[in-house]
This record gives sequence, structure tokens and C-alpha cells, in this order.
Amino acid sequence: MKSEILYPGAFPMVRVELAEGEHIKAESGAMVACSPTIDIESKMEGGFLGALSRKFLTGEKFFFQTLRASRGAGEVLLAPTVPGEIIVLDLDSVNEYMVQKDGFLAGAEGVVIDSQMQSMSRGLLGGEGFFILKMSGKGMLALNSFGAIHKIELKPGQEYIVDNSHLVAWSTTTTYNIEKATSGWVASFTSGEGFVCRFRGPGVVYIQSRNPGSFGAWVRQFIPVSQ
Amino acid sequence: MGTTVHPSQSVAVAENGRHLCSRFAGNPHRIPNEGGAVLAARGGRVETLTHAAFPVERGVSAHRGGRARTGAGLSIRVSTSAGHESIGNHTMTEFQPNALCFGDEFPASGVPCLVHIEDHGLTITFPLDRDGVERQSEALRFSELTVSAGGLDHDQLVATWVGPTGQRTLYLKSPDVIRAFRQAAPDHLSQPLDRAAEQVRQVRQRHRMVWSIVGGALLVVVLGLWFGSDVLVELAVDRIPVEWERKLGESTYHDFLAHQDVMKEGPAVDAVNEMIHRLTGQISENPYTFEVTVVKSDVVNAFALPGGYIVVFTGLMKKAESGEEVAGVLAHELNHVLQRHGLERIIKQLGFVAVVSIVLGNPPGLGGMMKQLGVELMTLKFGRAQETEADLTGLELLYRAKIDPSGMITFFQRLAEKDEGRVEWLSTHPMSHARAEGLKTKLAEMPKLNPEPFTFEWTNVRASQGAPISPPR
Repeated sequence: MKSEILYPGAFPMVRVELAEGEHIKAESGAMVACSPTIDIESKMEGGFLGALSRKFLTGEKFFFQTLRASRGAGEVLLAPTVPGEIIVLDLDSVNEYMVQKDGFLAGAEGVVIDSQMQSMSRGLLGGEGFFILKMSGKGMLALNSFGAIHKIELKPGQEYIVDNSHLVAWSTTTTYNIEKATSGWVASFTSGEGFVCRFRGPGVVYIQSRNPGSFGAWVRQFIPVSQ
Repeated sequence: MGTTVHPSQSVAVAENGRHLCSRFAGNPHRIPNEGGAVLAARGGRVETLTHAAFPVERGVSAHRGGRARTGAGLSIRVSTSAGHESIGNHTMTEFQPNALCFGDEFPASGVPCLVHIEDHGLTITFPLDRDGVERQSEALRFSELTVSAGGLDHDQLVATWVGPTGQRTLYLKSPDVIRAFRQAAPDHLSQPLDRAAEQVRQVRQRHRMVWSIVGGALLVVVLGLWFGSDVLVELAVDRIPVEWERKLGESTYHDFLAHQDVMKEGPAVDAVNEMIHRLTGQISENPYTFEVTVVKSDVVNAFALPGGYIVVFTGLMKKAESGEEVAGVLAHELNHVLQRHGLERIIKQLGFVAVVSIVLGNPPGLGGMMKQLGVELMTLKFGRAQETEADLTGLELLYRAKIDPSGMITFFQRLAEKDEGRVEWLSTHPMSHARAEGLKTKLAEMPKLNPEPFTFEWTNVRASQGAPISPPR
């Protein structure tokens, strides 16, 4: 399985080459085009209940689509819904990443996707909900963001503060605490930041350069109110 | 790859293999087409070097590869950061890392490495990086290590030590390796290890506790809303002036009638007016002026809006076999108005949505679903309670107005049994066996009544609606 990011920037696609018999899981609706040798199956990862819980708990799509090169080698083009960068990570069975619920685009067959419950304070204040996706296993993992993806590298003990709605993915060797952005409650909200996450290394944190929630609020003012 | 290559060439490749790789990887066209060894260097990795003419080369590679597994030195692990390839013609063991190592010279995502626990300490084997810099196994004694719990969920074992190139941190995740570590570790490490394990336990326990507290609190709030809301809603309803209620009902009433075929006069209108007159005459301290409209429609329905606006459909009157039956429905609807049920319902729904929004915010998925479900359930439960109340008070009102109340019960039951046409009244007034039984019991408790008949002939009223003369039974 080889992957390549086409048109890097705001409107990228991933091209994945599959050898015969290989398959890839993708967010449903992610397939843009593919070779005629590829079969598209919808699959409920983790069984029906698993899929159901993922749907309701994380807001992630109910089905994943499985693209299988069952009739010979071929290639698949995949793209996310929102404009923004795509990154491809290589999981090596030791590295694990937590991914915010809209961040998953595609993963090789060896990648294991889990819905994980967060702790109370993280769930309530983190802005990601109580459930996020945990990616482990081995193989290619494609994530997408809203805006550009920026990688923050943290040495052991090094700290960095991230606005929670800009999070895309972070390695499980990091720890984080939710904090008010400023020391006062009022200033914390009037500064427009509300809550922030204080990450502590070692590990990697991927952030997106745009905030989907704020963008939605900004767009809303231009939508005509229907009668 | 069976190309014959001159032995001296192959040694050169082996010595500089890594450099060749990096030099040619980006520009394969410049690779001199001189033989298997060079070809093997394309693509950035040493692919296969199995030619019989390469004995020296293999030995060198084994040395450079850093980890000779078998005595013959034929199993070599070479990997680049892009992936792990294993080469060798005897054993094909794949490099399977089980830990991440962090340090100043390593990338921030950590270097995957293989940790092997031994009696005296542990051995860490690193893969080769892109530059081919050797990272051989590093043996550590337990005495050099400091241990704690770490990671996102505090479930990883973190060992730190100071190496020749500065501080290094090792993250162990696999439960098997952690167990082996704890078993092998000497006493002086067992204390911090226990502390680490205790930390993990505490974190899990705290999570459990927090979740159960939150779950309990949610349960209390839900139960409190379920049982305590009636009192709160009544309090709120009492504070709303009748005038507001009238305005609320009036606008809905006029909106509704604007699209309907309203019956201005005729036997049906007279009959309904007479019923309303007799019923409202028995209401003490009536703050409402009731307004009744008969609407021409086959829909079997009648409803009351807040503020005293009542609509009766001719379909309902066609279905009824006597004036008493229609009077029963009217008495029921009048009591919805008198008990201010519409207002209660609105307030309850608004209040519930507000409370749920405060508690759950406005999350997609679960929260949204629960909110929807909760509101529906609430109105359903509320609806039932209101119906029963309107039934009983309606029965009393009929009794006071000296209208035979048994008509009400039989009509409700008949409507429930015969599920024909569009009996809409039923969908908002589900007729259960229990409800009918409750009414019958109530009626039986009341002293015998001498009903006063209406002044109109019901058969005439029905005939004016185009219904067949004989009852449709």
C-alpha cells in the first residue's frame, strides 16, 4: 500500500495504491474515484453495536467504507468534506494517536479504531465531547483537518498550550490538562479563548489552523433566514 | 537479483551502502547501471543482497546493521524511518518495537524500540535511522532507572535515565512488558513501581468515582424533573394572567379557522351552543368566555386551545349517536381549558428543553438524541396525566349539568374500538382500557342522576350533517 497526497494545501486528495487483495478503511463518503478493480463495501467496524455507539457517542459516521482491491491491483482517490490539509501518519504498533472525531479520513487494514471515553473534565471542557477516537495498530493512517495542519513536537517535560477547538490529533505519550485561558473567569471568555489544553511532552500534537466552530458561527450570519 | 558483480565493487557498496542509498534515492536516473548491488540501493533501502559472490559484504552489513541475531551473522535488521525492512537469507525476523524512546537527539514522536527485560536490567534495541547512524542495543541496569507512571491515561510505565547523550525517557505500554519489568526489577525500584501502579489505580478509581457521581447527579436531576416538575409547572402557570393565555389561544384559533370551512348556523351549531351553555353554566368562578366553532370536515376531532377557544368538527358529530356523547367530548375539552393544560404543556416543554440544554449543552449525537427523546417522553407522560384529569373533571361537569355521563364513556370506547376513517381525536387522546375503567368506577361512585334531555332532536342534527338516519352501528 502506497499513498501520496495530491494537491497539498486547502483542497488535497490522497491517492492510495492497493495491491491485489489489500483493502483500506475510509470515512464513508470519502471515496472520490477509484480503479474498476476496487470494490466498495460498507462495513460497521466493531460490529453493529460498536458502529452504533461510535455514531451516537462520537458523531463519527455510522459506517466506514472498505475499499478492497479484490479483482487486481488498483488505486483509490480519497478526499475529506471540509477544505483543509491531509497528513499521512505511519503507525508502527507502538505509536498511538488520539484523534478528534472529524479527523479520521482513512486507515490501512492494520489500523485499529476505538472510541474512547475521556475523563470528566476533558470531556466537558475539552470541546471534543466525551468520546474521541484512538488509533493504534500498524499501517498508514490519513487524517484531515480544517485549514492547515501544524505539528507541535514536544520533548519530555516540554509544555505547550493549544486552544481546544484547534486540536486534530495527539500521541498518547502526551498528557494534557484543561485550563482557563486567563486567570480570571470573565477574562477567559472575553479573550475569546475560553478553555485551552496544556499539553506536556514527550510526543506530538497536530493542530489545525482554523476553528470549525468559529467558522460555522461566522458563516451563519450570512445565511438568509428562511420564512 | 542474480547479476554478477565484481567482488571489489560489492565491498564498496557495502562500505558506502548507506551513502549510496541517500545519494541516489532522490535521483534514480543517475544510478550507474552496473549491477545488482547498486540496483539494490534504489528506493532508499537495501533490498536484497543475496548473491553468492558477496560473502564479505554480508559480514560487513551484519556489523553495520547493528544486530546480528544468529551466530552466522546472517540476520540483519535494517530499517529506515519510513518503515521496517528486514533482510537476510536465513531468518526473516521483523523488527517489532514494543516501546517508545524519547531523548534530545530523537524525533519528538519518539523512536520505536524493542525492550527486552533481563535479570539485571533491560536491553533496548533501536532500529537504524535514515542516516545509517548506528544505534546498537543499549543495556541498562535497573539501578540507573527512575520509574513513574505516565501517558494520556497514566497507564504507561515511564523509565528515565541519563545516558551519554543526555536524559532519555522510555515509554512502555504493553502490559506484558510492564509485568515482566515489575517482576524482574529489584527492591529499590519496586517502591516507585508500586507508586506508579498505585497512581494508575487511583486515576482509574477517580474516573470511576467521577463518572458515578455524574451519573447519579444526572439521575437525580431526571427523576427530580419527572416527579417534581408538576409542582414547578403549576407554580409557573399560576403566575401567568388569563389575558396572556387568551391572546396565545386567540391567534392560533384565528390562524386555524382561516383555512377551514366554518359553519355559521344550523341545527349542529345550535346543538353545540346549547351543550356549551349548559356545561359552562355549572362552572363556578369561570375566568374564560368560551367560544365554540363548528368546522365542516369529516375528521373525527374536537380540540380546545388555551384561553377558551373550542373547535368541533362535524365528523365527530356524525359519529356520535346522541347529544350526550358529543357533550362528553365537550366537557372533556372544556376541562383542558379550565385546568390550563395547554399552558402547562408549553411551559413544561420549554422548561425541559431549557434544563436539558443547560445540563448537556448542545452536543451532536448522543446529547441531541437524548434531548429529543426526553422531550418526547415528557410530553407523552404529561399528555396522559392531563387526559385523565380532563376525563374525571369532565365527568363531574356533565354530572353537575345533569347530562347523562355514560354517553361520554361509551363514545370514547366506541371510537377506540372502531378504528375506521380519520379518528384524529384518538391520536391525541389514546383510549386505554384503564382510562375507561377509571371513568366507570368514578361514575359508579356518584349518586344516581336524573338526566335532563336536550331541547334538540339528535337525529335531526345528524341528518343536517348528511349522516344516515339509522345509527351506523
